[in-house]
Amino acid sequence: MRLADAHTLEKDLLTTSAEPEADHRLIEQLAGWCDRYTPWVAVDPLGAALADPDAALICSAGGFGGDAGLLLDVTGCGHLYGEGEAGERALMADLVQRLSRHDFACRAAMADTAGAAWALARYVETQAGLFCPPNHQREALAALPVDGLRLDPGTLETFLKLGLRRIGDLYSIPRAPLSRRFGDLPLTRLDQALGRKDEPIEPRRPPPAFRSRISFVEPIGRAEDIAAATERLLDTLCRQLEQASLGARQLELALYRVDGSVGRTAIGTSRPNRHAPKLMKLFGERLGGLDPGFGVELMILSAPEVEEWTGAQDSLPDTDTPTRSSWNEDGTLDLADRLALRLGAENVVRLAPHDSHLPHRVQVAVSFTTPVPEGAWARLASMKGPRPIRLLQRPEEIKVTAMMPDEPPRQFQWRRHAHRLVRIEGPERLADEWWHPRPRGKTMPANIVPPVRDYYRVEDDDGGRFWLFRDGMRNNVKWYLHGFCA
Amino acid sequence: MPVISPSAFAPPVATPAANDAHGLTPSLREQVRRLERAHSVQRAGRMAVPLGLPAIDALLPEGGLLTGALHEIEAGPTASGRVAAHDGAALGFAAHMLGRFNPGTILWCRQPLLGGDALPYAATLSAWFNPARLLIVTTRHEEDFFWVMEEGLRTPGVAAVVGETRAADPTAGRRLSLAAEKSGIPALLLRPQPAPPQSVCTTRWRVSSAPSAVAAVPSPEVPGIEMLGAARWQVELRRNRFGTPSVEEMPTWLLEWNDETRHLAVVPQAQHRSAGPLRQRLVG
Repeated sequence: MRLADAHTLEKDLLTTSAEPEADHRLIEQLAGWCDRYTPWVAVDPLGAALADPDAALICSAGGFGGDAGLLLDVTGCGHLYGEGEAGERALMADLVQRLSRHDFACRAAMADTAGAAWALARYVETQAGLFCPPNHQREALAALPVDGLRLDPGTLETFLKLGLRRIGDLYSIPRAPLSRRFGDLPLTRLDQALGRKDEPIEPRRPPPAFRSRISFVEPIGRAEDIAAATERLLDTLCRQLEQASLGARQLELALYRVDGSVGRTAIGTSRPNRHAPKLMKLFGERLGGLDPGFGVELMILSAPEVEEWTGAQDSLPDTDTPTRSSWNEDGTLDLADRLALRLGAENVVRLAPHDSHLPHRVQVAVSFTTPVPEGAWARLASMKGPRPIRLLQRPEEIKVTAMMPDEPPRQFQWRRHAHRLVRIEGPERLADEWWHPRPRGKTMPANIVPPVRDYYRVEDDDGGRFWLFRDGMRNNVKWYLHGFCA
Repeated sequence: MPVISPSAFAPPVATPAANDAHGLTPSLREQVRRLERAHSVQRAGRMAVPLGLPAIDALLPEGGLLTGALHEIEAGPTASGRVAAHDGAALGFAAHMLGRFNPGTILWCRQPLLGGDALPYAATLSAWFNPARLLIVTTRHEEDFFWVMEEGLRTPGVAAVVGETRAADPTAGRRLSLAAEKSGIPALLLRPQPAPPQSVCTTRWRVSSAPSAVAAVPSPEVPGIEMLGAARWQVELRRNRFGTPSVEEMPTWLLEWNDETRHLAVVPQAQHRSAGPLRQRLVG
């Protein structure tokens, strides 16, 4: 129906433009909020596909706006609310009640399969029908219209023409003619809804293997309370990790605020860790940036990334007694973790030697977790030639005065200061590494002379020592300052 | 209990009765004690590492650099009085100090300069210590810079903390000094330019490069130009807390670094080649 027609029919019609993007954002936010019930939350893929205007219409019902859906796999989550089936009912009631508190009108249904729950939530008429007891989806679905099977409008129309109005009508039809007439989809959907065929739910975020949660009767807001709660969560989680003999590489803390929003923060460690005080120190950096808003009613700590535990046994004290034996055993790596968390990992580096005879390629900054082999530097230091004590990240061009173009310089000008040279050592000729492929994957043509640099160590009349080089040959000579000598 | 120990600088020892008479409460006494931390009694039992240069070590407390302390090394002006073009000599002297301290991680904090950032060159530093021990941290803000240094000073396993900065914040300097004192980890502040002497460092050194020694190799064919000899540094001890007072107000030495034998030595006065102008500058 066109908007003009709608206006003719209903004078007081209120219209706003559709905002599928905003709808999608909202549903993502809601999905994040649903993490409080289970880590296994997915946005209904059909709804998401429909939010994209270019996507082919693959389903009659569902979609964006009022018809969007979320799928929650709550297997094993009901026990937080009560025993067995009662717990699952309580969970569902809690979900609906909390959502309505935030002014969301919603219908939630629970069944053994995602397909059945999808159909029940949309087409069941009684309140009691929303909860389908285990293994009863066949009876529960029989009376629902075929629209509940998540099929395209064309198929549904044909179903109606053939008099197949209810899902139950399909039960008695032989499968072979049905699939010949309509393709595989209707049968697949039916099997998925009845649990005869698996339907994987793709969670929004990979569910963590380890998590601990703490919920508060009264919302908390003070920073100390949040820190204390974090400490308790860490204790629980670290005990879980200890039992599994694993260590966390990444931890995520989620704060569920009373207004329905979720604040998250994450920390990473450079090696598997399960030492609660150390992890707490890392969180200490981050907690300050978390806004409790009007109060926090639930906190969940999860470990999305875990690794085999490699450290010492937990019973040994490892923080109070300083050991100065090796890089890994002392507190340095924990320190580096903390610094990297605040300054960014690219700003905390170690220097590793690189096999090259070009002085500026010899040292590379590597991540602080990379081990630098023992004695690697000692081998390099035995290499010939004077080297600077500081190396400019990029050589700076200087103006040079020399008697003859090929002669060593007598004076150079750098940053508006002239340096008259009295002592010179050199040249040390270094050619480019022609045996390495060029950046574009080409080796150099044989007839071109590879760029060579003539390095000089020079001293000016004030005693300042510099490291210069001449680049290029006869006609096109350029001089650069590349470092400072001690 | 007498809280103020006898020392040349301390006030006369007061009896507890006298203290009470003056109304000195224990907390006040504690405050006095804290104020007097600077005095030599408090540093009893503190460790020092000799520099390996007897002439200098003789002046330093405990015969060397105190480990739990803040030391400042600044790049001095050149012999002609110009601002030094670079701090290579100061860096070399700092590296020599680092090589003398305990083994362990060296936390190196830097603030990148806007134009022409020059990293220390590890292959050269390996003459003094294994560069694999370096953990290099780059910070954008001054607060972060001092925070990193303090965190390093609190971490067991860190052998020394080095900070390259132009910032001279007396509060930060005080905090660093206290943190170093508490943990026994040495802190070095490396300054590319002389900074106002505000911080409470234990020693402050001014190091500038001096003309190198006469080379053993004859000069090349280019007239008027000689070969480079061993690097020489003019080192001035500008502050020496707890140390032995010397005859000169600011004792100065000429050091020679031989990068082949990896040996740092004091050049005897008589061998100063350019003694004339150098003396003049020191007097002026």
